[in-house]
Amino acid sequence: MKLHPLSIPYRGLSRGASVGFMLYFASQSLSGTDFLWTPLDQPILVALAGVVVVTLWQVAYFRRFEYDLTDESLDVASGVLSRRHREIPLDRIQNVDISRNVVQRALGVAAVDVETAGGGATEASLQYVDYDEAKRLQREIQRRKRGADATAGGDAEAADPEAELFALDVDDLLLLSVLSFDLRYLSLLAFGPAAFPVVPGFAEVAFVGGVVLVALLLAGLWALSAAVTFARYYGFRLTRVGDELRYERGLLQRYDGSIPLEKVQTITLRENALMRRVGYATLAVETAGYAPGQTPTGGSEAAVPLATRESVLELANELEEFDPPEFERPPERARTRYAIRYALVLAVLSGLLFGARALFGVPGSQALALAPLAFVVLAPVAGHLKWRNRGYATGENHVFTRNGFWTRTTKVVPYYRIQTVIESRTLFQRRRRWRLASVVIDTASSAGGPALAADLDREDATELRERLGEQLQESLAERRSGPGSDSDSESSGPVGPARRD
Amino acid sequence: METLNPRVRLVWAVGAVVTATVLGAVAAAVDRFVFEVGVPVVVAVAGLALVAGVVHAVLKYRVWQFEVRDDDLSLERGVLTRVNTVVPFVRVQHVDTQRGPVERTLGLASVVVYTAGSRGADVTVPGLTPERADELQERLRRLAIESERESDAV
Repeated sequence: MKLHPLSIPYRGLSRGASVGFMLYFASQSLSGTDFLWTPLDQPILVALAGVVVVTLWQVAYFRRFEYDLTDESLDVASGVLSRRHREIPLDRIQNVDISRNVVQRALGVAAVDVETAGGGATEASLQYVDYDEAKRLQREIQRRKRGADATAGGDAEAADPEAELFALDVDDLLLLSVLSFDLRYLSLLAFGPAAFPVVPGFAEVAFVGGVVLVALLLAGLWALSAAVTFARYYGFRLTRVGDELRYERGLLQRYDGSIPLEKVQTITLRENALMRRVGYATLAVETAGYAPGQTPTGGSEAAVPLATRESVLELANELEEFDPPEFERPPERARTRYAIRYALVLAVLSGLLFGARALFGVPGSQALALAPLAFVVLAPVAGHLKWRNRGYATGENHVFTRNGFWTRTTKVVPYYRIQTVIESRTLFQRRRRWRLASVVIDTASSAGGPALAADLDREDATELRERLGEQLQESLAERRSGPGSDSDSESSGPVGPARRD
Repeated sequence: METLNPRVRLVWAVGAVVTATVLGAVAAAVDRFVFEVGVPVVVAVAGLALVAGVVHAVLKYRVWQFEVRDDDLSLERGVLTRVNTVVPFVRVQHVDTQRGPVERTLGLASVVVYTAGSRGADVTVPGLTPERADELQERLRRLAIESERESDAV
């Protein structure tokens, strides 16, 4: 099948525009010099020629692009000069994402991205097809995948009812926008001075002005961050259709994605310090295709952006059935170790300041170099907070890990998703005084970092490492012997481990 | 637990010699073109790197152990950070044998085990005789296939 014909002018213009601008400025800056061949001394014409060439290329791209959904695979043949034929087996497909920005919505077209495990980039990207066709593909891939698995598959014809799992209302969206200040925006502060180059009398009130400026900038960045979050999660809805999760979101750019439940690798619960205060949390569903926010296409999100802790837990339970874990914290000596570590960092910082002062004379007085040491009183507090928020737990079918004070991350890993287990002991952890070890529980989840049970007692770590290996074998044996009792899990990988009844 | 072939120390020692030479060359270049530190310092840098590398190789050999167990491959290694890895056979994607130039000269080979994990996705067992490497590869391959049937592809 072909792409939507409107994709030619759309791609031609969107891609041609940047080429056109580039050519325009290149031609402009060279115009009048000897370097330029006289007929090229017409910036506008050169730019237009660029747009035309790009558009012609898009016509060729359109004519040479073909895709086909068969019972077993999605086949894509593409490429103008070098051709590529790609066959993606349906049961290897992880996520199918549809995105539409404002213009695409007006034109009624959408981009479809198909993700598989393995490979860094999106496996197949259809730019652009009719929106209804995009939805049809998403539905059909799910249906045929099941058809390929199921022996009978008679009921596959009937459309699965769509059950709403979660919808973000406006109040929560506003709260989310305010709460989720992305620290990365702070890097924009570097441009701050450039943003306000001529404030009259700025030099005179430098200090006060500086403080006010920074405050203003921070407020501005916060507002910006909030606006971005708002636009991103506007109209968020998570539904369950048969054995798939579907989500949609976005104010200007609409996203619309599917996650097969059998592909879920890890469930991640995140609460930053502010959210914990008000009892909220976010939930991310990681597959091997990508994890939220980390996709090559930049922004598909298979997660609940914000909900009360209870509803997040309820939802997590819907995806993977588990009892509330009882976390075991690292031994108390780990807390002492953290405090010492923070104190050492401060001492080193102070030492560096002294060194810099001795070598270069700057910065400032001796008191300044001592300043970091004043924070040493906070080291035990920081150590305690770090210790308090760490822990691990093992349940019937899952292992849980928890880390982080500023953003507490809880990971739920089903035993049957474990890839390797890595226990490590650094030189310091090995010292007789500490006798600690960390265990990394690796899965095929493509992002978000593996689950880490940090600073366990040496013996506990070894025991955990061995136990996880055994649990993996057990859960595999269990899955082998029979998801048969459960009617809706005829696929090779049911949602949760076999015992759901 | 199985240990590596003692000759693997030589492989690592050769690596240490290379590192020491490079460091020495860098130090010599600094001495020549940036600021003079003197020949003794250059020699000391290279010498220290060599000694550290050789000691590291010896310690590394002492720590390195692996074992093919019922359901998984278990490894212990690491001088500064001690690492125990458990690789279940079900998770093995494919197994390679590798022989670098130094290893070939010394009659050794490595086995590399790949999993689909996001971290530590490949695990190398160095310092095996070629026969042992082939045998290990074959065994892991068989065990992986045996346990494959029920496993869940990613």
